[in-house]
Amino acid sequence: MSYWQQQPKQRKLLLLLVAISFSAAFYKAMHHPTPATFVVPVNDQHVGAQRAIIRSHFVSPTQNISTHAASLVDLGNGYIRAFWFAGSREGAKDVQIRTAVFDPVYDRWSPETAIADRNSTQNGLLRFVKKIGNPVAHQASDGTLWLFYVTVSIGGWAGSSITAMTSHDDGNTWSGARRLITSPFINISTLVKGTPFNYSDGSIGLPIYHEFIGKFGELLRLSSSGEVIDKQRLTSGKLAIQPVPLILDAQRALMLMRHTGAAPKRVISAVTTDAGQHWSTPQKIALSNPDAAVAGVALADGRLLAVLNDTEAKREVLSLVVSSDNGKNWETVLQLEDQHGQHPQPAEYVRLATQLAKDTEATLVDASAFGASARHNKCMGQSCEFEFSYPYLIQAKNSDFHLVYTWNRSHIKHVSFSRKWLDQRITELRKEVSDAAVH
Amino acid sequence: MPQFTDLTGLLGIASVISAIVMMLPGIARFSTLHKGILLSLVFVLVLMPLGELPLAAYVRGATGDLSITTLVLIWGGLLHRWCGLASVDAKQRDALLTVVALIAVALYPLSLGVGMFDPYRYGFACVAFIIALFIIALTAWIRRSDLIALCIALAAFAWSIGWYESSNLWDYLVDPFLAIYAVWVIAFSMKKTRLQTPA
Repeated sequence: MSYWQQQPKQRKLLLLLVAISFSAAFYKAMHHPTPATFVVPVNDQHVGAQRAIIRSHFVSPTQNISTHAASLVDLGNGYIRAFWFAGSREGAKDVQIRTAVFDPVYDRWSPETAIADRNSTQNGLLRFVKKIGNPVAHQASDGTLWLFYVTVSIGGWAGSSITAMTSHDDGNTWSGARRLITSPFINISTLVKGTPFNYSDGSIGLPIYHEFIGKFGELLRLSSSGEVIDKQRLTSGKLAIQPVPLILDAQRALMLMRHTGAAPKRVISAVTTDAGQHWSTPQKIALSNPDAAVAGVALADGRLLAVLNDTEAKREVLSLVVSSDNGKNWETVLQLEDQHGQHPQPAEYVRLATQLAKDTEATLVDASAFGASARHNKCMGQSCEFEFSYPYLIQAKNSDFHLVYTWNRSHIKHVSFSRKWLDQRITELRKEVSDAAVH
Repeated sequence: MPQFTDLTGLLGIASVISAIVMMLPGIARFSTLHKGILLSLVFVLVLMPLGELPLAAYVRGATGDLSITTLVLIWGGLLHRWCGLASVDAKQRDALLTVVALIAVALYPLSLGVGMFDPYRYGFACVAFIIALFIIALTAWIRRSDLIALCIALAAFAWSIGWYESSNLWDYLVDPFLAIYAVWVIAFSMKKTRLQTPA
């Protein structure tokens, strides 16, 4: 008789195993976190810049490397920490996750340091890692700093998984890398880009997306210890990726997403009115989108602020836009970058990029090196193009806004502005519009 | 210092590599003692760092952690070849693989974005899903499909104690390699049955 054609005694033991296993499983399920509400970021204290002020800097000064995908986290008292990835090229083995801290007292960024690379990641994960990318940072309710970034073991970015690290000293030192398991198919094709947020029970909302066979957005919920406790689909098929949540109150949020579907190319949005338990059918909104990342925040007064390439092709234009009607209509507050239609020869490209670098930071002593770095990354033969992409926008607790984005794949650019500047700018623009209508 | 879940993941990969070694020609002629020594050597070799990582870690980078169901089948085969323990009954195995193939056909397309319904979500401690699995395990036991009951029970227990990195019960029940094997065995079995049926 086969081992598996059990004797009565063995069958009783098997029944006992079933009983014990499912008792343990039910116990675990009963202690699983229940749904929680959103934590609305407290960022309207107006203790930041009291003047209408807008400033810009370069976060990453290193020349002639490929630099991309920055994110920010507010450390309090005006200090901001940025993260991005950089290396000889995107996906190269020498790519590192780098970080720097913005000091509001001296109005400057600290020297950049590397906190993770392929080797440190695979040693932490105890599995082979081919390349790393897209870091997204977040401060949990308990003060722990989380860094989520993308790792690939096989194939291209479609083979990505998410790795997480934590810091208990505002990012000076980090734990070993841990893997998040988010997909049953050898855990591939999950990436991060959008801004994480907190739930009322201390758990973390992490927007993610897939781009293996389908291209779709999802929302992960992680316990305060980093265990995946829920996952929810936001779109399906090949419609949209890189969801960015704009938290309006404890129950309501708007999700903006990068459009990857058919023309007309528009930003995709979905809304929830029950703290993310259900999301509306995704739909196109008025904002154009050339299959490029979007960033955004909700203001305490209900207005929405977003940064995006608001064209249907290329990433040569980057705009700051505002909506006062829950995202139905948007108006441009500031053209952050505009090189639409500019495809100069390398020499002219370097001149233009150098001028843009000077415009970013007037005190730069080596602006021409920034121009040369841009040429290194964005010129192929005699063909050059500008790229301003992957915006990441936060409102700090002191009410100041901080935006970072990829500047010609060469550097990370930082733009900060006060709440007063935003209000003043919107008032001026509306006055201009009404004056123009009168005349 | 490796985490517990890294060790369990690597041991799973080492088990598969060991099972493959045991299937090599000539190994069957080894004595039980020699097979035991060989198995120990294989485990040490694949778990010992070679260069940057152990061999098992390179494989794990591509495969992820293997389901408990896969490990039950692997260890069933290993113990059979090593100690002469009776092999897994073919009917029991086919019944298990049929269930796995049916799950795979639905789970993987849906979890990879076909539509808004994502069954993988129910693996994150959904009580209804656990009740359904309990009923399936109990039914399998009553119908004497003991292998199905055993795999489900062990998967549920491993998930309860956090055996792997994954907090999703699906990852303990099935994995893509088991799914591919199941579909292949079922398809081969159906083809064989068709050929044996007189026209």
